[in-house]
Amino acid sequence: MAEKLTSEKVAELGRRAKSVRRNIVSMVTAAKSGHPGGSLSAADILVTLYFAVMKVDPNAPADPERDRFVLSKGHAAPVLYATLAEKGFLPQEELVTLRKIDSRLQGHPDMKGIPGVDMSTGSLGQGLSAANGMALAGRLDGRPYRVYALLGDGELEEGQVWEAAMFAAHYKLDNLTAFVDYNGLQIDGPVSEVMSPLPIPEKWRAFGWNVIEIDGHDYNAIYDAVQAAKTVKGQPTMIVARTVKGKGVSGMENIADWHGKAPTQEECNLFLSELCD
Amino acid sequence: MQMETKVHYQNFVNWAKDKPEVLVLSADLTGSTEIDLFRDTYPERFFSMGIAEQNMLSFAGGLAREGFVPFVHTFAVFIYRRAYDQIAMSVSYPNLPVKMFGFLPGITTPGGATHQAVEDISVLRSLPNITILECGDATDVESVAEVAYRTPGPVYVRMLRGEIPRLFSPRDPMRLGSNRIISRGDDIAILTSGICTEEALRVSHAVKKRGIGVTHIHVTTLKPFNDPEVLAAIRRARLGVITMENHSVIGGLGSSAAELMAKHGVGKRLLRIGLNDTYAHGASRRYLMKEYEIDAAALVRRVEELVQAELHITEAELAEVYLAPVHSAAREEAL
Repeated sequence: MAEKLTSEKVAELGRRAKSVRRNIVSMVTAAKSGHPGGSLSAADILVTLYFAVMKVDPNAPADPERDRFVLSKGHAAPVLYATLAEKGFLPQEELVTLRKIDSRLQGHPDMKGIPGVDMSTGSLGQGLSAANGMALAGRLDGRPYRVYALLGDGELEEGQVWEAAMFAAHYKLDNLTAFVDYNGLQIDGPVSEVMSPLPIPEKWRAFGWNVIEIDGHDYNAIYDAVQAAKTVKGQPTMIVARTVKGKGVSGMENIADWHGKAPTQEECNLFLSELCD
Repeated sequence: MQMETKVHYQNFVNWAKDKPEVLVLSADLTGSTEIDLFRDTYPERFFSMGIAEQNMLSFAGGLAREGFVPFVHTFAVFIYRRAYDQIAMSVSYPNLPVKMFGFLPGITTPGGATHQAVEDISVLRSLPNITILECGDATDVESVAEVAYRTPGPVYVRMLRGEIPRLFSPRDPMRLGSNRIISRGDDIAILTSGICTEEALRVSHAVKKRGIGVTHIHVTTLKPFNDPEVLAAIRRARLGVITMENHSVIGGLGSSAAELMAKHGVGKRLLRIGLNDTYAHGASRRYLMKEYEIDAAALVRRVEELVQAELHITEAELAEVYLAPVHSAAREEAL
């Protein structure tokens, strides 16, 4: 019987996700630009990875044995920074410097400047390829670390994603687990209308991946899927996580316009009141 | 002058022997980039990437991020045209030690415009962190891996394959930022790179016989372009400067020379030999060099333009030092 999350752990993840969501809203508001919708949709996945799954230590961000995380949808940088701050890689106070001159918190993650950022991303479609490199390197080095990557559903429209999909299956990268943050919306509207990447699970299966479909806001489901992926040999795993864009903030949920728009201070106050403990 | 065959084929295997962190990635052009012996000798360090250059370059970034030194092997044209954003964002921006070996630069392929890398230096030169090297002879080819390996960060190499002349002694390997000074003189500075150096060597002797002083430099480090000897040669050249490259005249060696001269306020003629803002046809290298005026005869005309006199250099004189491949299974570069 695989290990399960305790109810205490689930409660902790819920609290931390709320804190991460508050920071996402606050930092994008302070920056007056950024990507709240796709950050909020991925918050539960990142919180589960960083607080229940990944072996990472904020005091040793370059530890060669650590698990790796690549945010392929780099525009969701706010959720990564907020999670890294929650974990202790960054001071919480620094989050509001997002996108400010002299801040290391660029609009898209820069691995040269930020401890805990494993790869620079932001140009869509590249992160899974880099994760392939890190996963294959782990095999060559004989290190048991695991590599996690998070892709957007709109990102699947990039051709390079499918080059990377072919590669990971061809080289049997079973130390690689990726997520699709399947919130169904991209800048111009529903992914099915802009340029449909559907059906998503079937495509990954056809490319030779082990595919698990879950509710991307259910901590138990996220955790169980990741644990199941660890037991699969000879195949990378894609966890297709159904999510809600803007999750947690009712005024943002399922509205494509919140993909890349900052709230006003007034909206921010309203949104934060919803995210109180 | 001696011709060598398939220099990279054996050399890279020998060089990489005790470097377990050196990996080779190939995009379905393994034999075509002379890396098949490496594949057969060190199969655990060779990765077939398929015809998927974008994944290859970002994957290389991921490997480099973990301490490996991947040497990407494919045709030059497919590295920068197919995967420019990947080079920029997965390699150059994070400043990772990915070494890109681009084969068949410029018109060294008969494949025509689709296969001719004629603006690679131009577009890659503007990426921060990247070093750009170009090989012009067998010794360059033998020593470039070590230079690329020792140079931190990303390195792009214009690589040669097949029949390659030996212009420089193996005891005088390529050095980063220190280009090869072939001759010294005060009238004209000739800067050449890649296969154009061989062409210029056929000319400079005849020119010197006519009492014209030539400083001829074989430029192997195209970026950074900061060799003090190059600037000194440009300053010294009484009549002007000629650049000669197997590349567009826009953005390559000629442009670098122009930028250097402008920066230092060196006001004199600069004649750039190269592809004149055009795509090229497919044909033999020799034919294309004549057709697009990047051969010895073209250089003679530019020298005459600077000295404002006819030099009466005969074709026979240029042919005299022509490096014909002898005793080898010479063939035109196959696609």
